[in-house]
Amino acid sequence: MRPLFDPFVLPFVISMTFVLLYCIIGMIRIVFQLPKEDRRKFLRSLIYPKSALKNFRDLVNDCLLHTKIWKRKPLLGYMHMSIALGWFMIIIVGHFESIAFSPLRGLEVPFMPKLMSNLYLPIFFRYFAIEDLSLKAQIFSFLMDFFLLMIISGIFIAVVKKKKPRKVGLKRVTKFGIKEDLVRLSLWTIFPLRFLAESSMANIAGGSFFTKYLGFELLFGGNYNETLSMIFWWLYSIDLAIFMTLLPFSRYMHIPAEALLILLRNAGLKTTEPRKGYALAEIYSCPSCGMCIDVCPMSEVKDNYKNTAVYFIRNIRKGKRRRDVKAMTEKCLMCGKCIEVCPLGIESLDIKIAQRNKTYYKIKSDFEYLKSQQDYKTTRPQDKAHSPETQQLSNSATQQLSNSATLYFAGCMSHLTPTITRSMKKIFEIAKENYEFLDAEGSICCGRPMMLTGKVNEAKALIDKNTELIKNSGAKRLILSCPICYKVFKEEYNLEGIEILHHTQYINELIENDKLEIDRDDKRYVYHDPCELGRAFDIYDEPRNIIDNIGLLTPGKSDKDMAVCCGGSIGSLTMTLEERDEITKNSIKDLMHNNPDEIVTACPLCLKTFARLAPVKVRDIAEIVANTIN
Amino acid sequence: MNTHKILIIGAGPAGLETAHQLKSLGLTPIIIERSDKIGGHLAQWDRLFPSSDNAEELLERLKEQVKDVEIKLNSRINHIEKEGDIFHVTLSNNKTYDVSAIVVCTGFDLFKAEKKQEYGYGIYNNVITNAELEKYFKTHQDERIDEPKRIGFVHCVGSRDVKVNNTYCSKVCCATALKQACEIKDEFPDADVYCFYMDLRMFGKGYEDLYLKAQKDFDIKCVRGRVCEVSENIEGKLVIKAEDTLLGTPMKMTLDLLVLMCGMEKAEGVERIQNMLNIKSNSDGFIESRDIFTGLNLTKERGVFVAGACTSPKTLPETLAEARSAAIEVFKYLSIEL
Repeated sequence: MRPLFDPFVLPFVISMTFVLLYCIIGMIRIVFQLPKEDRRKFLRSLIYPKSALKNFRDLVNDCLLHTKIWKRKPLLGYMHMSIALGWFMIIIVGHFESIAFSPLRGLEVPFMPKLMSNLYLPIFFRYFAIEDLSLKAQIFSFLMDFFLLMIISGIFIAVVKKKKPRKVGLKRVTKFGIKEDLVRLSLWTIFPLRFLAESSMANIAGGSFFTKYLGFELLFGGNYNETLSMIFWWLYSIDLAIFMTLLPFSRYMHIPAEALLILLRNAGLKTTEPRKGYALAEIYSCPSCGMCIDVCPMSEVKDNYKNTAVYFIRNIRKGKRRRDVKAMTEKCLMCGKCIEVCPLGIESLDIKIAQRNKTYYKIKSDFEYLKSQQDYKTTRPQDKAHSPETQQLSNSATQQLSNSATLYFAGCMSHLTPTITRSMKKIFEIAKENYEFLDAEGSICCGRPMMLTGKVNEAKALIDKNTELIKNSGAKRLILSCPICYKVFKEEYNLEGIEILHHTQYINELIENDKLEIDRDDKRYVYHDPCELGRAFDIYDEPRNIIDNIGLLTPGKSDKDMAVCCGGSIGSLTMTLEERDEITKNSIKDLMHNNPDEIVTACPLCLKTFARLAPVKVRDIAEIVANTIN
Repeated sequence: MNTHKILIIGAGPAGLETAHQLKSLGLTPIIIERSDKIGGHLAQWDRLFPSSDNAEELLERLKEQVKDVEIKLNSRINHIEKEGDIFHVTLSNNKTYDVSAIVVCTGFDLFKAEKKQEYGYGIYNNVITNAELEKYFKTHQDERIDEPKRIGFVHCVGSRDVKVNNTYCSKVCCATALKQACEIKDEFPDADVYCFYMDLRMFGKGYEDLYLKAQKDFDIKCVRGRVCEVSENIEGKLVIKAEDTLLGTPMKMTLDLLVLMCGMEKAEGVERIQNMLNIKSNSDGFIESRDIFTGLNLTKERGVFVAGACTSPKTLPETLAEARSAAIEVFKYLSIEL
């Protein structure tokens, strides 16, 4: 047995100590930045068995197995799993091995506290070990070799990915500076160096199929050279030190940060500040993998790929001045596709909204009119002002809509696409629905546009007023035609006891309950999923079921959660019409993939946007239904 | 010279006037027209701005001038082949012509108002287009126009509007709107008539007078601002939302009739002819002239000429003047270059 210390371990020990301290301090900082209520929620979630179990499952799935990437791109999934799981297992198995086979472990090493030797022994075990031919030892060395081979195979794919992204199914990958390149190089070389170091003395320390037979016998020709071996061990340790030292300042920070993010997310926390607490955990968790670049509809216009989520997060992390981040923040369409593909599920839209909230606008909102707004004027003829001179929004007296349990709220966008409101009226009539058209004569905005500009407090004023009006009506159901309204009603309104439905859900329910008699036609329809209905609420089956009942549903090129934003989104504050047109054309190309006769959508904004440029007719799903019933 | 045949595509004012001039220059024009009657949009119109001249009379004059010219109605071009300087043209009835020059006089289409869904055309009964109102003046048959008390005109429908990809001004709608406003006021003296405009472009002789007359003598109220939304109330009346940008205030109004002043767009099917003749479109979608100063009637293709609203929106006098200049260009081409 050799002495259990050699100076070459020092670079590793020092850097590892640094990185551990850095992560622990960072974690404490993030937890302390959380709002008080959130912090309590988080700490509580760590103790509850149910959430603890979920934490464990998610940590294994996301941090080690990378199941989310497997589902999208199997080859990339394997790459991530082999490196993460392989490395993790090498550390774990290495610890067990060092406990089982170093009789001196735990004894004092000169000048080294016990903790320190525990830190490096499992990592450099082969240097200190002597070949042991017992079955137990052989199993251990087999496992260690197996995981080492696994990691190296993963790194091989990583090299291919860097050189030829298309081979692993990526069109564009994130561009990096020289620092990131250095860290990546150090990561890629860690395990080949470990292989060389372990192989070079496998005749003394032992090894299995990989290090001993392939490495020592074949690569080194069965010769042991002490100097060469020492060089490899030093290089291995120094390489580890470079990686560990730079890790906190590189994208590889996602390795430790992701674990914290999973715990915070499972505690049900949300972003409130763009650079603090939960958002910080998300920002550090971004591995800059660039999955979001290819799917981002903005990438259609060449220069705009620089505004995709990965670059936005990087700039936030770099602490770039607000002005630089502002442009990126305001450009985004908020379609949510980046979140859908993000292997870490980073809610970058929330960070953007929080960041938008930081922008000061000179325009002051004036909500004085809300005070004078009485309950919505209903469509009852006796309440009508008969004088045609009414030039102002009329305020009728408060009244209970006691005899109708269903409210229909069209929203401002649907008022600009009267085919939708007219179709809905017809559907209500045929289904014999007892309803009130809440905003027949104008309405208060749902608040979503305000939310999207980050003006949460102003949105709150609208939301509160609308809530009051709707609750006063005594209705049990609220039917909406606009997904933009739907999102905010679902997420920000507190309408307990009132069921909120988008008209796709409502019509589907009518069809399933045989309330509508549909005359089928033989047209081929393609359905466009509005972002705020599909990705936001997974309403994919209802509209498809409706179309199935009417004609032939043909798929677009990318459907459901991968649907491309129509380009008209009110999410973007600065995108020009020309840029939007490119996005719209791309989206239409996608929909026209199977040459449908008509494009169907369920959002007035998508409808208006597509109608400008589509080669075929574009209609709302309500109109299609209304035209086939009598 | 008179052995040369010239094909004129379109029997609207531009086509008729070009044919007349070519004939008087001793050439042999042949007009082909895809519809079953002569006159194009002029045949649909009742009176013409600025002085309310009778459209039918003008059309009769134009027709009279071309009574010796061969006009093929219900004809479309199937195929054009150029051999040297001669065009072999095959029509839809398989008749072929060998012509020395072609003058494209395909005119324009009116903007399809249903594309601006927020104005409710095709959705609400009482929303009509400028062409439909003109037809009413001609025939007095339209059940939608039933003693209206309040009438609105929306200018610039499908013109100067990026949202429908038409960024250009259609030129004639301002004057047409005021002409029609006066005429409908004449018909229903008790009605209030409103014109919602972005800018009033009263550029031609007599246009400004028309504008003043409309306000002074007919009490037409001109509101600077666009209509943003049209809906229908329970009584079937139209409710519009607009903004008066001079007063800086939003407004809401109930109307009995809304007239949409649809602008001009490239005519449907012209692209097919353009492909056959190898001539391009300009940024507005109309046919591109060789240059706008001295080559207005010329195209990049030898022997192919243009006249009238097929190159950009034009008033009737401009179209007729251009038709005459096209005839000279053709004459010059045939006598000097060939």
